[in-house]
This record gives sequence, structure tokens and C-alpha cells, in this order.
Amino acid sequence: MPTMTKPGADRQPETDGRDRFGRLVRAEWTKLRTVPRWLMALAAVIGLALLVVLIESDQAGNEVEEGEPLEEPEFRDELHFVHQPLSGDGSITARVVSQEDSHEWAKAGVIVKERLEVGAPYAALLVTPDHGVRMQWGFEHDVAGSGGGAAPWWLRLTRSGDVVTGYESADATNWQQVGEVDLDGLPSTVEVGLFVASPDVVTIARQYGSNSVNEAATRGEAVFDNVSVEADGGSPSPGNGEWNDYDTSVEPDLGGSTESDGVFTLMGAGDIARNVRPFGDDLVELSLSGARVGMLAVAALGALFITAEFRRGMIRTTFAASPRRGRVLAAKAIVLGGATFSVGLIASVVSFLGWQANLRRTSRTPGLPELSLANPTVLRAVVGTAVLVALVAVLSLAIATIVRHTAVAIPLVILPLLVPSILSGGLPLPVANWLTRLTPAAGFAVQQTVTRYDTAIAPLVGLGVLAAYAAVALGVATMLLRRRDA
Amino acid sequence: MVAAMDATIEVQGVRKRYGPTVAVDDLSFTVRGGQVTGFVGPNGAGKSTTLRVILGLDAPDEGTALVGGRPYRSLRTPLLHVGALLDATAVHPGRRARDHLLWMAQSNGLPGGRVEEVLELVGLASAARRRAGGLSLGMLQRLGIAGAVLGDAPMLLFDEPVNGLDPDGIRWIRGFLRTLADEGRAVLVSSHLMSELEDTADHLVVIGRGRLIADTSVRDLLAAASKDQIQVRTPGRSEAMTLLANAGATVTAGDRETLTISGLPAERVVALLGEHGLPVMEVTQHRASLEEAYMELTRDALDYEAVALEEA
Repeated sequence: MPTMTKPGADRQPETDGRDRFGRLVRAEWTKLRTVPRWLMALAAVIGLALLVVLIESDQAGNEVEEGEPLEEPEFRDELHFVHQPLSGDGSITARVVSQEDSHEWAKAGVIVKERLEVGAPYAALLVTPDHGVRMQWGFEHDVAGSGGGAAPWWLRLTRSGDVVTGYESADATNWQQVGEVDLDGLPSTVEVGLFVASPDVVTIARQYGSNSVNEAATRGEAVFDNVSVEADGGSPSPGNGEWNDYDTSVEPDLGGSTESDGVFTLMGAGDIARNVRPFGDDLVELSLSGARVGMLAVAALGALFITAEFRRGMIRTTFAASPRRGRVLAAKAIVLGGATFSVGLIASVVSFLGWQANLRRTSRTPGLPELSLANPTVLRAVVGTAVLVALVAVLSLAIATIVRHTAVAIPLVILPLLVPSILSGGLPLPVANWLTRLTPAAGFAVQQTVTRYDTAIAPLVGLGVLAAYAAVALGVATMLLRRRDA
Repeated sequence: MVAAMDATIEVQGVRKRYGPTVAVDDLSFTVRGGQVTGFVGPNGAGKSTTLRVILGLDAPDEGTALVGGRPYRSLRTPLLHVGALLDATAVHPGRRARDHLLWMAQSNGLPGGRVEEVLELVGLASAARRRAGGLSLGMLQRLGIAGAVLGDAPMLLFDEPVNGLDPDGIRWIRGFLRTLADEGRAVLVSSHLMSELEDTADHLVVIGRGRLIADTSVRDLLAAASKDQIQVRTPGRSEAMTLLANAGATVTAGDRETLTISGLPAERVVALLGEHGLPVMEVTQHRASLEEAYMELTRDALDYEAVALEEA
């Protein structure tokens, strides 16, 4: 029999705490990688994601409408604009005589626009049927006027350098400032004039599993008089005071204008605002839907990573080797989180690329714009999906540490993740949204790349909700692990 | 540094309750270096609980357990101080024998080469790459023992290490435990069968129902159990039995011509037999087996329990 060294002889010096934590992480990684079934569970995350891509993208390819762009601009810039150029400082004044109540947010007013191009910077002063006078710019800024303002009403925008200021008046005598905006880099010649827009009316029918959405354009119409454009210092108008039409209405035949004796009637359809794209499919989110299936494998792995030790009493060997239990759980969470993040990232990148490729192959639509991983929004969804997968694994580890039984832990993790998305189709939208916000299912929000009418929570906030659940569960698990006998 | 660490395990006034059941009740004993200490008691006596308390796995309700003068939970690389085999089957069946030892080694900063050394040491080198689920109980015991000696610790705990070993394995583990003790280590071996510790243990801690029954060296225990018993060989066995019994001795017949006598001193026995013309061919001091000594001890303990119950 080979003998051993004398006890106490030749021992390694003790090293500092950080180093010792590194040892724990190494030990837990060895545990994870040396059980073949666990490696298969990790591989399954990638396999299941691919399977979902193959099945789903075939169907999606047929659903994408011809010519529907995959990537839409962040704003809508739809209006009918009767304009003329203005050089240097000056102002435009007009009275809105009347406005059709085509939509509560229908817009009729005066506007200064940098140039005649969709998306060009602007400042607009307008009246609405239900929301009074507003000054708006940059597609998302909105300042309310004095209240009670409705046609007939006087509106004026003055331009001085880069600064555009809006004034309103009921009688053209007493003017009141509504707002002021610095449009950085405004060129010396801008387009000024009258405009009309009117947003779409949307009706939604919600049923389990499907939502039918009906979007209908509305036609805004307003009458203006007392229209005047004045350049400071009397410099001549480059357009000789001639009015021109510019139309980007959502349906072109809804836009138009007539003029007679200085009375203008404008018609337009659409909106000038941030594009909420409320009803389109989120193609990036769809391409990452395999995560919902892969998540099952990850939740099982997360639970087994600790329950396998509880079941066989191996947890005693673990705690005899490393009595600091909180650190053991932390090392487990890091190893599990790192491994599941890695496979999750491979799965989501491959899913996204595979989906794109398959869509291109199966869709008969020519010229689908390429969605790239380099697009920050896409990247957020793809990387976020990997984080989502890792958080589900860690949540499952923590829950399993608390309840100590695989069969109890897995449903406790999976049901809150899946039930909200199953139920929400049948619940009123506000209830469904709160259900999504308050449960770990909020984490799926990170896969969103467009804001839809039924968007419950912002992507990173949703991921934060899931992370908070995981963190709280880990905290409780650590406390119990320290307190309980092994 | 651990070099000067003393290899002593001290259990002091430990009491542990699980719900209404008292598993260990005011238990105190010391395990010293250079000895194999047998930790004996029937199943359910509280042996495993005591070992878990020593290893900081279960928190005692009262009392303390110290290893080398420190609580186990304060050790930062415990495998270098205390090695333990609690349950040989507590291994993930999908993991290779070598990998099971590898994570243990890594957790305490031991080099991976140490794993191969201990596998060699316990005779498992050829099974290093086999998965634990495919190992026999005997091989799992060897794997568990390899885990216990991984850190070359001066204090070692083995819970029922003989379970599942074949006769060769039993002989091997006895020699192995002796070697470990001879190297100066404190070795605590629990067993529910006293016979397993015959010729191995130097010292015994006997417990029943969570309480200490005896804390004694094996030599003293055997001497006490053998005291005032003599063996006599005589051809006139039946006459001798009657004679000695009438004289107040307790007599049991052994094989053929031997009698085991207690209750009378040897000189008196020889004189009595001589007076009645019965030839005495051999008189020897009876040597009790460890099993007998243990039975005697536990009988007393059980009697005590019975009395206590009646009085209650």
C-alpha cells in the first residue's frame, strides 16, 4: 500500500479570498461539464431554437405582405403641406377658421420645416378637435397651449436664427407664447406654410390566440384665412409669395388643397409623430421565439444543478469542501448563468440569421430590406435573449434551492413565465399588460424591437423585472441555505 | 500554516434535536491523533448526526464540535484539515470517478495530479474514467475514501466505510485505517458492528440513543470484560460444573473439556477441583472478544434504559 505524506507536511499556503472564490467557480464548472445529460440540456437550447426557426419562419414568410418593409423609420411624417420658402428671420401667421372632427388628434396649423423631405426637422403650431392648441417638434415633443383653443383660432410661428417661437391668439390682438424651440443648424431658407394631418383610426378585436386589428385612414380637413408670411427687414420672398403643395398623406388621394380669395382649404391623412407601429409583427421577436422552448431545458438544468446534490446527499460533500454556503450558491449561479448565456447567445444569433435567411428564401416578396445584427435594436433583442435565458436558469437554480425538489421547482419557474402570454389574449388589455409587467414573463419584453399597441413594458425594464425576481430568489435561497442543516 | 495544527477532534456537550426526536444528547468525547477511534452504536444511535455536526453540516442545538481547535465552518480549505466519507453513494451517477474527485480538489485549490494519486492509493486507478453510476458499492466506498484522503488531512472521519466491501476490501480498509493512524492522524470510524473494528480500533466511543455509553481504550475494555473469568480444561466436566455451581460460581460449558467460570477466583477453583480428585489440565485467563465486551456494555445500557423507563 502506498503511504501518504505525514500530516501537516508540505502544505500549500492559504491564499486570499478572491482566489478561493475562483476555485469554487472552477469546481462548479467541473461539476456542470462532467454530467453528459446536463451538456445535452445545454445543446438542446440551441437545437430547439433552430427547430422553431425552421417551423415558424416558413409560415411567417407567407404572412409578410408584399412590399412591407422589415425595417421602418422611427417616425411618421405624413401631412398635406401648402408652403413657400422663407429666407432669414420672419414669421407665418394664419387663422384656422374651422377644422373637421376627423380624429381627436387631427392637426391643422402652421409649420416651419427645414426642407421638403420626410423626416426633416420642423416646428409646428396646431389646433386639435379635442386637445386644444399644441406646439410640436422633433416627432416627439409636445407642448400644450393655453387650453380652450379651438378653431376659429389665430396661430403664429416666428423664426429668429435657430429659434422658432409659437404664439396663439383668439382675436389677433392679444398674442400669447405657446412654446419655443431651438432647431439646431436651421438653414437660412426654410419652408413655411399651412398643414393638415389626421391619424388612423384603429379598432382591435381580441380573442384567445389572435387579435384582429383594423386600421383605417381618416381624412382631416381644415379651412384657413388671413394667411401671411413676413420676412424681417422686408427681404423679398424667394418664391415670390407663390404657394405650392407638398403631400405625404398616408393615402395620397386623401391629400389636397384649394384656395380662393386667400381662403385655403387643406385635406390630409396621417400623422406627424413618433412611429409606434402598433400592429405590425415584430419580425425580430418572432425569430427569437425559440427561446421560449429552449427556456424549458434551461429551467430544468438550473433546478437539477442543485437538486441533484440534495437528492443524493452530495450537497454534504460540497459543503464539507466549502463551508461558506453563500459563496457556493454564488459560484453555481455564475457558472450556470455563464454557460446558459453562452448557449443562449449562440441560439439567438443562429435563430436570427437562420430566420432571416429562411424568410428571404420562402417569401416571394422581392427587396425585403436586410435586418442586421449591427442594428442596435436588433442587437439588444438578440443579446437580451441570451441574458433572458441565463436569468431563467439562475431563477430556477434559486427556486430549486428554496424548495429542494425538481418536480416542485420547475413548474414554479415555468408557469409564471408562460401563463401570462397564454392568458393575456383573453384578458382586457390593461389587465393583460399588468400581468406581464408583474410576473417574470416581463423578461420576454427584451425581445421586442417595435412598440406595439399591446406592448406592456419597455425591453430593458422587462428584463430588469426578471432580474429582480432572480435576485430576490437568490437572496432567499442563500439565507435558507445558511440556516438549514445540510 | 497547518503544519503545527493539532490533530484532535473534540465534541463537547453536543445536543441535536430533529423535531421531537433527540438524535444526540449531551455527547462529549475526544478523538486523538495516532489512533483509530471506533464510533460504535446501533443504527439510529446518532453516529451520523454527530459526524454531520463535526463537519459543520448540521448546527447543534447545544454544545460545540471543534476540529484542531477550530469550528469546522471557520476552515477556509477544510479538505486540508479534515477528510470525510459520509455516504459513498452520494455521487452523481453520470459523473466519472475522476471528475468527482476533480471538483473536490479544485474547490480546495489542490492540484489535479492529486486526484490520480488518491485513485492509485485506493486501488481505483483502472476505474478512474468509469461513471459513478456503473461502480459497485465496494468501488464507491473506495471512491469515497479517496475523497476523504484527497487533502492529505490530519483528521479523518469515515461513516460505515466497511459497508459493501468484500472480504478482500475489508482487510484492505483495516490496514489502510491503521496506516493512516500510524502516520499520526486522528481517525474516527463509525460502525454499527463492533466486530468490524476488531484488530483495528485503539479506542472506542460507544453511543446508544444519542447518549455516550463508553469512552474507553480497547485494551481497558477487553480487560474489564475478561476480568474474573477463567477457563479450565478438565476431563470430569459434568462433576466439575455441579461442584463449582454449588460453590457459587457461574459456569458455562465450552467445547468438549473446557469450562468458563466466573464468580470464583482461580486459586479457589483449582483447590476445589483438587479436593474432589478432578484433574485440572489447563487454567487460563479468558480473553473476551470485542463483540462480547460490547454486548456486555450495551446490555448494561439497555438495562439502565429499562430501569429508567420503569421509574419514569
